Amino acid sequence: MTALTVDRPVSPAPPAPASAATGARPSWLRLAVPVGAVAVICVIGAVIGSEVPSWLDARVGPRADDVYDWTVRNNGTHWLFTGVFDPISTGLTRTYDVTLWVLESLRWTGVLALAGLIGWRTGGTKAAVVGVLSLAGCGVLGFWDDTMITLAIMLVSVVVSLVIGVPLGIWCARSTTVDRGLRGFLDAAQVMPAFVYLLPVLVAFGIQVPTAVVATVIFAVAPAVRLTSHGLRSVPVVSTEVGTSFGSTRRQLLLKVQLPLARRTMLLGLNQVIMLAFGIVVLASIVGIGGLGGEVLEGLRRVDVGAAFAPGLAIVFAAVALDRISTGERSVRRGTRPVRLPEAWRQRPALLAATGLIAVAVIALVTKVVGADDFPSALTIDIRQPVNDAVDWVNEHLRNGVPVVGGTGSFSDFLVLHVLTPMRDLLLAAPWWLVIAAVVAIGWASAGPGLAALCGLCFVGVAALRTWDLSMDTLSQVLVIIVITVAIAVPIGIWVGRSDRVERMVRPLLDAAQVMPAFVYLVPVVFLFNVGRVPGVIASIVYAVPPCIRLVNLGLREVPVAPREAATSFGATPRQVLFKVQLPMAARSIMLGINQTILLVLSMVVIGALIGSGGVGLETVYGLTKSEIGRGVAGGLSIVLLAVALDRITQSWGGRPRRT
Amino acid sequence: MVRRCAATLAAVLVFAACGDDDSTDDTNPPGTEAPGTDPTATEPAATEPAATDPAGTDAEPPASGEGIVLAVNPWTGSAVNAQVAKVVLESELGTAVELIDIDENATWPGLDRGEIDAVLEVWPSGHAEDYATYIDEKQTVVDLGLLGPTAKIGWYVPTYVVEEHPELASWEGFQDPDLAGLFATAETGDAGQFLMGDPSYVSYDEQIIANLELPLQFVVAGSEAALITAIEQAVGDEQPLLLNFWQPHWLQSQVELTEVELPEVTEECLASAAADDGAYECDYPIDELYKAASVGLQEKNAAAFDFLSALQLTIEQQNEIAAMIDADGMAPEEAAAAWVEANPDVVQAWLA
Repeated sequence: MTALTVDRPVSPAPPAPASAATGARPSWLRLAVPVGAVAVICVIGAVIGSEVPSWLDARVGPRADDVYDWTVRNNGTHWLFTGVFDPISTGLTRTYDVTLWVLESLRWTGVLALAGLIGWRTGGTKAAVVGVLSLAGCGVLGFWDDTMITLAIMLVSVVVSLVIGVPLGIWCARSTTVDRGLRGFLDAAQVMPAFVYLLPVLVAFGIQVPTAVVATVIFAVAPAVRLTSHGLRSVPVVSTEVGTSFGSTRRQLLLKVQLPLARRTMLLGLNQVIMLAFGIVVLASIVGIGGLGGEVLEGLRRVDVGAAFAPGLAIVFAAVALDRISTGERSVRRGTRPVRLPEAWRQRPALLAATGLIAVAVIALVTKVVGADDFPSALTIDIRQPVNDAVDWVNEHLRNGVPVVGGTGSFSDFLVLHVLTPMRDLLLAAPWWLVIAAVVAIGWASAGPGLAALCGLCFVGVAALRTWDLSMDTLSQVLVIIVITVAIAVPIGIWVGRSDRVERMVRPLLDAAQVMPAFVYLVPVVFLFNVGRVPGVIASIVYAVPPCIRLVNLGLREVPVAPREAATSFGATPRQVLFKVQLPMAARSIMLGINQTILLVLSMVVIGALIGSGGVGLETVYGLTKSEIGRGVAGGLSIVLLAVALDRITQSWGGRPRRT
Repeated sequence: MVRRCAATLAAVLVFAACGDDDSTDDTNPPGTEAPGTDPTATEPAATEPAATDPAGTDAEPPASGEGIVLAVNPWTGSAVNAQVAKVVLESELGTAVELIDIDENATWPGLDRGEIDAVLEVWPSGHAEDYATYIDEKQTVVDLGLLGPTAKIGWYVPTYVVEEHPELASWEGFQDPDLAGLFATAETGDAGQFLMGDPSYVSYDEQIIANLELPLQFVVAGSEAALITAIEQAVGDEQPLLLNFWQPHWLQSQVELTEVELPEVTEECLASAAADDGAYECDYPIDELYKAASVGLQEKNAAAFDFLSALQLTIEQQNEIAAMIDADGMAPEEAAAAWVEANPDVVQAWLA
């Protein structure tokens, strides 16, 4: 299963939480401690007052400003820059230059041939065909040259992510302490909006390639670490012990036993890295890299939906192509179909690779001799106008003209007046300590004192970042988004999960929806739902529903066949099988899917701020301007803290064994 | 064996790259590949393309000066200036020019590091702090003088709003809660909505609204694209809309907007802006657009530095070229070349 999602490995279920355990103690005693803790918080809070006190201030913003000022003042002289960052910058730029030079020298025919070749080796004929067709799609859309720029940046970023991520993952697998310590950082890196660090990275590393690569790696490295570590940890103990008993050294054990056995999970990590990297390609264009992301921004600047959609679609094609040829359908699908090769090649892969590369070079050479250097313009299709026509039609007919319900405009007003505003008022009207007490209580009920303490700390942290009101505004929106997303995605996921035919039909759409840059649909969403919180809500839902569908689908499919068949043979109707067998058994996986969705929704907070959501996301947009770095950092950290709290709470729900 | 081959993308790629380096080296002599993009942008760009490129395209120009990099910020005016400069620099001074599309806030660190040589249109209101940091204090960036056009930020409403309610041509009209209430939305309740676009743009609107005690609520749309969409949506439905907007902007030629009169700019008002004391309550001052260069440019290419210092365009000239791009659908570089050819006097004045 190639899951194009921000997957985290499904961790083994934690031990049953204290509150759920049916111990010998009477129930009033079990309740006494948490109730007491919450009561203490309330008393302390009531003494302090209903507003966040002024002494509760971590001074994160001003400190970040100081660091940034120092960077600006010393970036040409201090050894940290001349000795460390500058060589890295130069190295990255050189690598990119060479990569782009290779891609351009190969010309479109050579690149397609190479893609086909790699795809064929990794995943067989199907992967090769899908990879080549997707990549050719970029050319058909008229963006071949831009695609090569983007592809070069992506290749460099992905390789750097692996070079950093795989060793870190191995380290994490060996040491639980390291694993715990890094986990927070990885979560933060993934949820922290790039707006916050784009400018500081730029000052340290320089415009264009280095900043684009560094920002992409920060965002995309997490799955490489997580899935390497997870893969190694899931290697059966027996295999390791067999290796040891035959006298393997640690090094041999790692290289010859553990890594090969963890390969499938690590390939999933590679897939995740690629998808995340493509997710940030538009933002990376802000620093002057051009390519497909630059085209999307240009379309957005002109408020021309078609002009932004066409390169957005090319990004989707490029991502799918890279994903399919690198991770390979075959290697991640069940049931391997070996590619049959002549004996001489099978014996000597180097010979095979050499033959292939010579063939690619010959194709490139022939292309040059023939003079077909550019992607043939006869093959290109301009989809901008049709897209704009479609958007115009939607705008005209859906905004006001829908019978009974009115249209998107009145729907938007309804959502603001009756859902979003009451929700926000509730969170803002409550004293800050009451919100913290509530979160602690929820944490305790979900997984005991540890989680309660963590959640409490996260929210106290938000208060100390001096972003309480803005964060509550954002939290109110996030909760609404999550509820609506789950309400839409879970039924669809169940539908998809029950039919292979539907899954085959829906899967490419889900892939596309997830990689399509959100920037592409910002304008239509604003047009339909007016500037304000609603377009942000809608855009986040559009972004989060596809992965949620996918994860629910996966969860349902993980249910073993035997119980289903047993139920059927005992005369259960399909409906009964679904509700009494499949759903209960898949509940945990589905819950983990929802947990993933929360991280995705929080990563959209900053995008929502670009279309009027306000809240703490807007603070991070300020981070892109020089004088407001501190504001951006405080805002970004608030998002991270909210994410950690929500993530851990829902994760514990997923881990809790179902009581029947 | 085969599986190991497939397991790491890195290995395959490195392998592929090496193999192709060898095999394509003979087929592609340096300099022939990749028209348009310069793969060796960092170091060789300085010497090689500068020497070969102009010689290939133009027989006459003096072979002089290192290639330079100009920033293009995401608006038409910025592209117009840069394209005109590129045409003249390449044809008259033999200086190869690379244009980089980049965010305006990202431009300054680029100038600071010398990775961008010049930017030809800076809006002073948004970059006071950059000016203080990089030009006054760190002295890694130099002021290249005024570009010519002036810009003006202000409060705007679609013209049909003023036609229907002439009182709304001035800020005093907005004191009336009923009139201000015309601009209310579900988000703002009773108060009228005042819409601001990109939060990183300079804005005193919150202070103006508070200090003039207007029944308006300040709403940040979040981006210029969202702001423009809101304008197009409001204009399509002939709905009232009050917003922070500016001149020159390409939308001004497509949608009729009227600027709302605000209290005149005074000394105290400007002093309050400088002190950031929250007491701002007047109109926005006129922005005089200027150019800036990296401090290394003069040494690197003195002729280009002098030319860029002398370069000036009037707002009419800028609009003329912008119209060739936006309305006639010409490519920016073609439009600039055509305009330079048609206006030799202007160009010669810059080179004198």
